[in-house]
Amino acid sequence: MLAFTLALLYPLTGLCAAVGHWQWDGSIPGSTASSVSVSLVLTGIALLFDVILGTPVAWYLARHTGRDRVLWEAAVLISVLMPPLALGILLSLAFGPTMKPGAWLLRMGLPTSNSPLAFVATQFYVSVGYYIVAARAALAAVPSDLEKTAALLGLRPSQVFHRVTFPLARLGFAAALSLAWVRALGEFGAVMVTAYYPSGMPVQIWINLQDAGMPAVMPLLVVFLLTAMPLPWVIHLLAQRRHADANA
Amino acid sequence: MPTLDAHIVKRRRELLVDVRLHLEQAERLALFGASGAGKSTVLSCLAGIENPDVGRIRFGDTVFFPPNLPLYQRPLAYLTQSDSLFPHLTVADNVCFGLRGHENNGASLWVEELKQRLALGPLWNESARRISGGQARRVALARMLARRPPLVLLDEPFTVLDRPTISELVDAILQWQRELGFTLIVVDHRADILERLCTRAAAIEGGRIVQEGTWLELAAAPATPMLARLLSA
Repeated sequence: MLAFTLALLYPLTGLCAAVGHWQWDGSIPGSTASSVSVSLVLTGIALLFDVILGTPVAWYLARHTGRDRVLWEAAVLISVLMPPLALGILLSLAFGPTMKPGAWLLRMGLPTSNSPLAFVATQFYVSVGYYIVAARAALAAVPSDLEKTAALLGLRPSQVFHRVTFPLARLGFAAALSLAWVRALGEFGAVMVTAYYPSGMPVQIWINLQDAGMPAVMPLLVVFLLTAMPLPWVIHLLAQRRHADANA
Repeated sequence: MPTLDAHIVKRRRELLVDVRLHLEQAERLALFGASGAGKSTVLSCLAGIENPDVGRIRFGDTVFFPPNLPLYQRPLAYLTQSDSLFPHLTVADNVCFGLRGHENNGASLWVEELKQRLALGPLWNESARRISGGQARRVALARMLARRPPLVLLDEPFTVLDRPTISELVDAILQWQRELGFTLIVVDHRADILERLCTRAAAIEGGRIVQEGTWLELAAAPATPMLARLLSA
């Protein structure tokens, strides 16, 4: 177990590799700091859409027993299984200026490539499927008997969700959110196609590598790891502890 | 005075449940029969957990079916073999779960009585996930009665409990039924428990009521050999 863990964590030693004197920016001053704020703000917005649009879908999939559920689950899975680069290309074509949605958005002053809208939309597409799958599992783990009991005690469906379903599924929701966060924040292939600008951290790391080599990559890489990893890591540990408490 | 009028038709695999019930306010009816006779289906349809295929259910002025009245609008309490306590809440929060502003409308005195009578004091601030099965049953009973429901449905609520606990809970339910005047329907397969709780019984076989009356009437001339066996068990 120890050997496996050490092997698993070994790539992190790359942070200590001799790559020369670290430098914050590549060839464009301020671009690295800008990529951090672009990634954090726009990923946050994409996650907001994941929650608002994905939660009702997850709830429907967890509670609906009709045969059509298989079809909806298959549709969600397609978005999860689609290779990111392929998704990026398809998004740029489907929302391009030659298609009606893209042309309409362009007329509204909302360009669908190389814009914050393109960035958020791409991150939403790459992460919402992961959010729905994980949130659905969290909701399915809440016994429907408890929801019916709450309803028989006079609570409306929205009150049942807030007082019973969500509190019991909250760690699962947090895990779903953190999974979506990592997926969206770390996305490179799809975002590279649809939103090279404004550059988020993954694209900026690529640009810095091209422009100035590894010394310009390392500081941003550290920031990238620090923003992507701790949240899911802590949530996973909390979930493990709660599971252990429940079985104690 | 709310009376319960119900005609429930529901197919469950090979069994077609077709039952008519009429209860006056504060009446206590036992649904009695062998396992799989359709007793629980009737209660489940009354509670709204399942919908009848055909029929009608009315309690006073409130129509339960058709159309199907949402669970949260049904003025009833339903207790099954499963306690369904909310594991993320304390015993106190479970008992007061269905109350709104209970501190201000006099319900706190009533909750206090439930707490004392069902010996929930020592558990009051415990997490619901840490109490025993017998304790959980008492909490579920308190939670059910806290809202003073006019209609109470009990589906084998004493399963896995020991005799002294059952006797204690039956006494408590009877006392509160007299005080609150709720209409009571109880399902169980044990005649001795039902005889204590209910004045009238409806015997169900194969999804239909085969005999209805007082316990004495049923015992004097059971309508079917199965009923005779169950009554003498």
